[in-house]
Amino acid sequence: MKKFLLLTFFTSITWAENPHEHMHHSHEGHLHEQLVDGKKLEVDPMRFDKFVMGLKDSQIAVVNVQGMVCDFCARGIEKTFKKDKNVKKIDVDLSKGKVLIAYNNSQEIKFDDIKEKILINGQNAIDMTIIIL
Amino acid sequence: MFEFNLCARIETCYRAVRCIYVNIPPMGIKTIFILTAISFGLDARPISYTGGSTIMSFSDNMKDSLYYHYSPSYKYSVGIENLRDNYFNDDYSYVRFTYLLNRKNTENSQRNLYFQSGISSKGFNEYFYGIHGDWETRRLFVGFGLKETEKKIQDYLEQYYQIGVAPYIGDYGDFHTWIILKSKKNSLENKWSTYPVLKFFKGNILMEIGYHEKTNWDAHLMYRF
Repeated sequence: MKKFLLLTFFTSITWAENPHEHMHHSHEGHLHEQLVDGKKLEVDPMRFDKFVMGLKDSQIAVVNVQGMVCDFCARGIEKTFKKDKNVKKIDVDLSKGKVLIAYNNSQEIKFDDIKEKILINGQNAIDMTIIIL
Repeated sequence: MFEFNLCARIETCYRAVRCIYVNIPPMGIKTIFILTAISFGLDARPISYTGGSTIMSFSDNMKDSLYYHYSPSYKYSVGIENLRDNYFNDDYSYVRFTYLLNRKNTENSQRNLYFQSGISSKGFNEYFYGIHGDWETRRLFVGFGLKETEKKIQDYLEQYYQIGVAPYIGDYGDFHTWIILKSKKNSLENKWSTYPVLKFFKGNILMEIGYHEKTNWDAHLMYRF
């Protein structure tokens, strides 16, 4: 039993993947391309309308997140972003695997910062689209 | 009745465990369980998000325990478990360490493999170690665990396997329900017990309850903050 557990332990460490490996996507310029092309965002329209209700002079970061399959596990995402004074509002859409984050229009949104905040909760942010209201 | 006296000055982790151990009598743990009405698998969500804390109580035929852990990183957690050992009729604590060996996130699923360990307040020659893992989507869940406990009296191995389904897919913030079939065995009794478990969670609170006519209640309550 000891041998089995030790073998599993070391084998797992060996093939344990680095979550950063999922984050090769650079979105500098990519976002702009998406917006110009009018690429359809996979966001629940009703949910989005509800989210932006009452928000003015804001921009919304729509972040695609992998591994966000459980409400209990996604709690940390909400808590982490709520600590950021630049974040006006946040919503977690489990069904679409998206996190919606509202910032002031003047705020520069850094995808790397968002990726890090998602990662410390154990999930991977893979891309982001910004919608200016 | 339940006094968390962490000592004015904690010199070592071992000393800290002894302090908590001394100040929580066995009946204190029982009372906590009664107060919480039902108790709840320590193996569910053994690591929180970075900076997160979790407190959980667990009860089955082998033990009643209260466990607190803190996660400096999403990859590991450290904590203290104070427990009533029902099989050996003993009370002691563990300083616990859990490490995320592997995680695979996909669009619709997450898979985890953890290493768990603990050193007893009764001495460095009493400890446990093991692995447990899970894979889940929003609809399906499978999990397993293997844990070897070394004790002066007798060593033993515990193992469990479980498969679950969510009868409905709840949205973020909703009340979530899972129906799970769990099978477990330990080398002390050397018999498999298979029984249904219900898991509920909403917000930061999670609860699991299972029942088997021979091993009675399996109960687990968790609060994350």
